Amino acid sequence: MAAMKTRMSSFSRNTSVAPAPQAPGLKSGPNGTIFLSSGIPDLDKILGGGFPLGSLVMVMEDTEAPHHMLLLRNFMSQGLVHNQPLLYASPSKDPRAFLGTLPSPVLSKDDRSHNRDPEQLQEKGLRIAWQYKKYFGEHQPNFDSHRDTKHEYCNDFDLRKPLERHFLTAQNICCLSIQDPPNLAALRDCCAKFLAQFSRNNSSISCAGRVAIQSFCAPQCEYSNMEWDMLSFIRSLKGMIRDLNAVAVITFPPSLLSPSSSKRWQHIADTLLSVKAIPDEDKELANLLTGYQDMVGLLNVHKVANVNTQVPVILEATTFSIKLQKRRYLVLECLNQAPVDGSSGSSYASTGSCSGSTKTGTLDF
Amino acid sequence: MAESICRNLRDGALEGEHAPALSIKDSIATPFGSDVFNYVLTKLSSNILAGKSQSKISILDCYTDPLGWKDSLKGPLDTENFSLKDPIEAVLFRHVRNLDLLLSAIIEMGEALARQGKGRFSVSIDSVTEMLRHASLSSVANLLSKVRSHASRLKIAINGVICKLDIKKVYDQNRISSTFWLLHSDLHEIRAIAALEYLSSMVGSLEPMNLSLNGQRGDLEKLSLLEQNSRKGKFHVRFKRRNGRVRVMCEDFHIKQSGINFTPVSSEEGIINQGLLPKVQFNLQLSEKERIDRAKVVLPFEHQGNGEPMHIYDGRRSLSEGKDEKASVLSENLQTNENSGKGEIIYFRDSDDEMPDSDEDPDDDLDI
Repeated sequence: MAAMKTRMSSFSRNTSVAPAPQAPGLKSGPNGTIFLSSGIPDLDKILGGGFPLGSLVMVMEDTEAPHHMLLLRNFMSQGLVHNQPLLYASPSKDPRAFLGTLPSPVLSKDDRSHNRDPEQLQEKGLRIAWQYKKYFGEHQPNFDSHRDTKHEYCNDFDLRKPLERHFLTAQNICCLSIQDPPNLAALRDCCAKFLAQFSRNNSSISCAGRVAIQSFCAPQCEYSNMEWDMLSFIRSLKGMIRDLNAVAVITFPPSLLSPSSSKRWQHIADTLLSVKAIPDEDKELANLLTGYQDMVGLLNVHKVANVNTQVPVILEATTFSIKLQKRRYLVLECLNQAPVDGSSGSSYASTGSCSGSTKTGTLDF
Repeated sequence: MAESICRNLRDGALEGEHAPALSIKDSIATPFGSDVFNYVLTKLSSNILAGKSQSKISILDCYTDPLGWKDSLKGPLDTENFSLKDPIEAVLFRHVRNLDLLLSAIIEMGEALARQGKGRFSVSIDSVTEMLRHASLSSVANLLSKVRSHASRLKIAINGVICKLDIKKVYDQNRISSTFWLLHSDLHEIRAIAALEYLSSMVGSLEPMNLSLNGQRGDLEKLSLLEQNSRKGKFHVRFKRRNGRVRVMCEDFHIKQSGINFTPVSSEEGIINQGLLPKVQFNLQLSEKERIDRAKVVLPFEHQGNGEPMHIYDGRRSLSEGKDEKASVLSENLQTNENSGKGEIIYFRDSDDEMPDSDEDPDDDLDI
């Protein structure tokens, strides 16, 4: 009867509906989505948990800076640490060589100083806390607690230490160079073969896969002037991935495409990020932004995937600065403008809650 | 700054990195690319020649007979028409359209040079513009990227020159390994230029001194500006640093009989990067007029130092000022009253019924 049946209204918390994934490196999110980590803890927080399975992430590069490589490195390392198969395609002649530059995870939390906030708290005397949110502790989502501490959902990566060999010799890494082939057929076939192992036929997920394509329209590739072919490849990749347990990240320099192509590619992405270089020794920027000395670039979040929902994800802030903390750890921070206008919304650091966030205490619709 | 570019080319790349690559761009307004190119080349070669007595420069001459026509004519034509500089040997290359062959010729030549000593070599391409005439953008880009990323023993510098495709391999014992090329920006589509900038680690562009000639100026002025442009210009360099930041540098250059001179920029130009930051809702900038007015404001509690008794302004306007003035909102910008000649802060109280300085404790009406 209706009275005996448990209430399954749309207002119930989705965490009880979705099956908790058994594999490490995955976590459930709202609306029945399952996330995998981007490898950068701050980015996961900003995006509300990570990259949802089945989505296509595109990163717009800046031709003047290699920051997209930082994002890719963390993404790939995270996958290897969690034993998730990886397909990597790049326009260099020897993509395997790039695997040697992948960073190694920091195993214990003590190594990494989470204490960038308490450092500021140790000012002598009067503290004027005009950025309150920064001082709240990080809320760990409660479903992380039953995980093994060795398999954290998202690791911090030390960019100075290369990933251990045993991760790289696993059989589940496929590397492909896209420089020489005259068309995209080889890449398409390779992707199709790789992704065939991740179909969603049963409710428990054994493993998820990652596809990383770097600098997709680089000029040294022969197919780079075949814009419709490239677009149709991306579309078919998106179609393949949509109902598989995999995430694809494609980076591309938009200035090397025609404007209409670039727009089309931006629209086809589920999650769209862009990285930008910043000028060196710029006094204007140094005056406008605090922490300019440590910044290496800017990250913009243009679009966040909303899967299984009509509710758009609205972020508090979309521009973040990329910093290398101690030259090792990649952190993303909200831009802190010097307190000329303290009431502006962008002056809180390291937030980015969105409607699908994993904070406890919020109602999930 | 031009020195620092040459130094960067001379230093070469670290292990595992691609070789530094410089793109020199010019246009019809400042057609001095070859001069800058020659400057860089002479700087590099002087560094080389100073280092080792056995250094060699060899030329892959793709100018004399790029498509092999003279060869195929089999006539009595003299096909050995080198454009030589004396001790340098030039090898004729006839298949410019086949970039794979070109690349292997370059590498072969470079390896031959490098084998004579344990060194690296640089490749300079005199004109990428010329290469793009014969081959597609993607194949030229392919060649350049392969050149940059060639095995670390060999490093190639490619110089581009407008009409001639000379590829000189500069053997350097002092770890010079870099590439540089010349490009004419008005002969290519934007995509091609963007692609070549993408492939280079430093982009130098030549710009005229005076950017625009106003059409309404007289002929004499135009001529003098043209005259100026014909000898001088600005050299902007965008330098991609390893940490991901971009250093932008600018210098003036002046072409003389003896060569080209670089001087630091005469006028300061600030680069405003407001496009990078998110826009705030208020306008925080003050215009000049507003700045002057703000300076003129007489602050209400300040001792003006002129012997008058201090008047504490409590916001109530005196009756003489009239009550029919329109109220305006107190905003971040201080409003000024121009008529008085000195600035004032105009403050409108919320309601005139409020008694100032009341003796009552305003917290008395809280019942706790």
